[in-house]
Amino acid sequence: MMKRFMATLMATILALTSQVLAAADNQTRFPSLQTETGRLTIYSTTDLAAMKPLIDDFQRSAPGISIDYIEYLTNELHALASEACRKDEPLGDLLLSSSVDQLLKLANDGCAASHTSPETLRVADWANWRDEVFGFTYEPAVFVYNTRKVPPAEVPRTHVELADLLRERLDYYRGRVGTYDIRLSGIGYLLAFNDARQTNTVFGRLLESMARASAVARCCTGEILEEVASGRLYIGYNMLGSYAYDAARKHPDLRVVVPRDYTLVLSRGALIPKSAERGDLGAQFLDYLLSERGQAIARSNAFYFSETGGLPPDVDGPQNLKESGIAQPIRIGPGLLAVQDWAQRQRFIEDWSRSLIELNSPEWTRE
Amino acid sequence: MQHEPSLFARLARRISLVLGIGAALLVSAAWYYAETAADKAYDRLLVGAALQMAESLSVERGALSARLPTSAFELLGLAERDRIFYRVIDTNGKTVTGYDDLQSPAPSDGARDAVSISEGIYKGEAVRIARATRVLADPSVTGHVYVIVAQTNEARSALTRELTLRATILVVVMSFLAFAGAMLAIRYALQPVERLGAAVRRRDPHDLTPVSVGVPRELDPFVSSINHFMGRLNERVDLLQRFIADAAHQIRTPLTALSAQIDLLGHDKLDKTGRQHFERVQQRTGELARLTNQLLSHAMVIHRADSIQLEPISLVDVARRAYRAAIPITVDPDIVISFEAPDDRPFVLGDAVSLREAIVNVIDNALRHGTDQRLEVRVRSDALDAYVEVEDDGPGIPPEGWEKATQRFATSKSHEGSSGLGFAIAQEVVNAHGGTLGFRARDEKSFTVILTLPLYKGPAK
Repeated sequence: MMKRFMATLMATILALTSQVLAAADNQTRFPSLQTETGRLTIYSTTDLAAMKPLIDDFQRSAPGISIDYIEYLTNELHALASEACRKDEPLGDLLLSSSVDQLLKLANDGCAASHTSPETLRVADWANWRDEVFGFTYEPAVFVYNTRKVPPAEVPRTHVELADLLRERLDYYRGRVGTYDIRLSGIGYLLAFNDARQTNTVFGRLLESMARASAVARCCTGEILEEVASGRLYIGYNMLGSYAYDAARKHPDLRVVVPRDYTLVLSRGALIPKSAERGDLGAQFLDYLLSERGQAIARSNAFYFSETGGLPPDVDGPQNLKESGIAQPIRIGPGLLAVQDWAQRQRFIEDWSRSLIELNSPEWTRE
Repeated sequence: MQHEPSLFARLARRISLVLGIGAALLVSAAWYYAETAADKAYDRLLVGAALQMAESLSVERGALSARLPTSAFELLGLAERDRIFYRVIDTNGKTVTGYDDLQSPAPSDGARDAVSISEGIYKGEAVRIARATRVLADPSVTGHVYVIVAQTNEARSALTRELTLRATILVVVMSFLAFAGAMLAIRYALQPVERLGAAVRRRDPHDLTPVSVGVPRELDPFVSSINHFMGRLNERVDLLQRFIADAAHQIRTPLTALSAQIDLLGHDKLDKTGRQHFERVQQRTGELARLTNQLLSHAMVIHRADSIQLEPISLVDVARRAYRAAIPITVDPDIVISFEAPDDRPFVLGDAVSLREAIVNVIDNALRHGTDQRLEVRVRSDALDAYVEVEDDGPGIPPEGWEKATQRFATSKSHEGSSGLGFAIAQEVVNAHGGTLGFRARDEKSFTVILTLPLYKGPAK
């Protein structure tokens, strides 16, 4: 057991090192529109494509600021940030991560600077901890499916339906369901952990069904979405709504389902590191993200879903997530520390791996 | 006299001092209780969380495993802004999960309590640390395991601050109310003192009767002291007056004999200088007799003012009698003397004897010091007052000397013998009747002394 964990760890570190070495590949420079007055460095786990409209619009409002946008996987970013915090070294001026539990852990360890402004007052209580970690998006965890592969009658609209479908049509869907590899993806782990906390046993059933159907685990949303779009996979589970909807707009075969029994809602987190060199710029960009203007851009171009409005068009789900009461926002608060407890994490991932991965994991994660 | 601060200021200072000290004590107590209450409240959360975590420990396949419940963290999360640190230690003292360097200040072997709580510092922040102990009796894992949970103090401090602030507001408001109430009470309580002071101030200087203002019991000693003092003063004054009267009386008899002897002596036998001396002795003796008479008259007037009941009298009658008594038979025939009185005989409330004495003295003074060729005595009245005017054609008293003229043994003409008590007696009498003594100088040839007395409006006797 320990050995396997070590192996996973080694793999992670390897991946991480290669990421650090290849940092330049993940870095995108947005030069300032006018004479540069300041350089803002953002470390993020959000796809550049989603953030680009926001960054462009921000630079229109603050033309003197150039932005370095550096992308990482959630776990990598967390490891980097913890390390930097421990050594009290600067790492960017703003951290954006969909894995808010990791940001919360950073804040709990005293790595975050507090920030209050009129904009931060607009943030809902559940999406703000200590004025240090702010949730700036509202993203349901959704199902995606390929219309050419999944007949309309079989489209699952609840977690139970999905579990039943995999059980009944085991042969058809074998190896055709994709989800996060929670060993690699912090966001996948966070979603899975919260699935497991549901009062009913649906997640156990679902996990068992997925295991039997040899579900495929991938590191990132993008890969799964691509495979579902291309038809290699039929169904994607627990995809981030924003990415899924973006992909659905590009691929006519791809459809998004917001589950009707319960829907986990994740708010992407932002945190200003304590040791940031230009924490003021980080705060300025954060204010922009939380502002009316930033939220409007996010709703139309980047993340599509919002707490107050209805669902975007062509999404299969309840009319209004919040009012229907099925939305379960993942509260940004100390409860996430339980998610981040490493013994907990280790065991959870072990259990999960044992049930799901053992049979069909890719070559390099096996012993 | 050294000026002591007022009673009100003293009381106000002392009461505000007491209230201030009291308020400070109350606020300190409130702060202490608030801190205790906040600690108690949040310690329960902390202990609850630690116990939940300890409860979640189990032995699986021969190893201690921790399945920390989210609810434990959410329980701690009720203190919304506080950071949470925890550590699970197995039987060998190794960290199972959590923060490796988190220590509980409480000794780990000695204490066998299920839960202990202490203060501490972690990551440079003051924290409250709870440690829950659980005894494992599994065949493979035996011994004590510990769960240490620490939480920063923001919520506690905030609660303490809030509770203290509210208590402080209450204490301050109550202190102000108490102070205002005390000040009102003091002001009210001191009113009799003011009243007594005013009553004593208002008294006539000659009034030496006991003070009869109603005062609270506490002021009784003060009032009786005043009254005792007044009584003694009164006795002394009486004694003094009686002495003066007695002395004057005793002096009069030998003085009369002395006058007679001087008259008998005759001046025919004397030479020119001797005659001059003789005349001076005669003159001085006259003055002495007059002064003695005045002293007697003064004593009489004062005595009567104290003892005689005033009654309605006709001022014209009194003035006429005085006029007759005051003009000697030997008066210089060149002087024109007249007495005028109105037909309607004004009445005043008074003592006829004293008033006559007063008018006699004024006329006598005019004859002696003023009159050259004319002396007029007039009685008249208007709606409110009756007047007795004595007018002469002498040089009179210049206005700057008017005030001094009514003092005893003062005269405007220093070269003459002392006029003595004339105006003083008149003034005293008139004042005792509620009237005034005034002067009027019209020109070089007219000086008037006016006695003003309030008119009596009641039925005549």
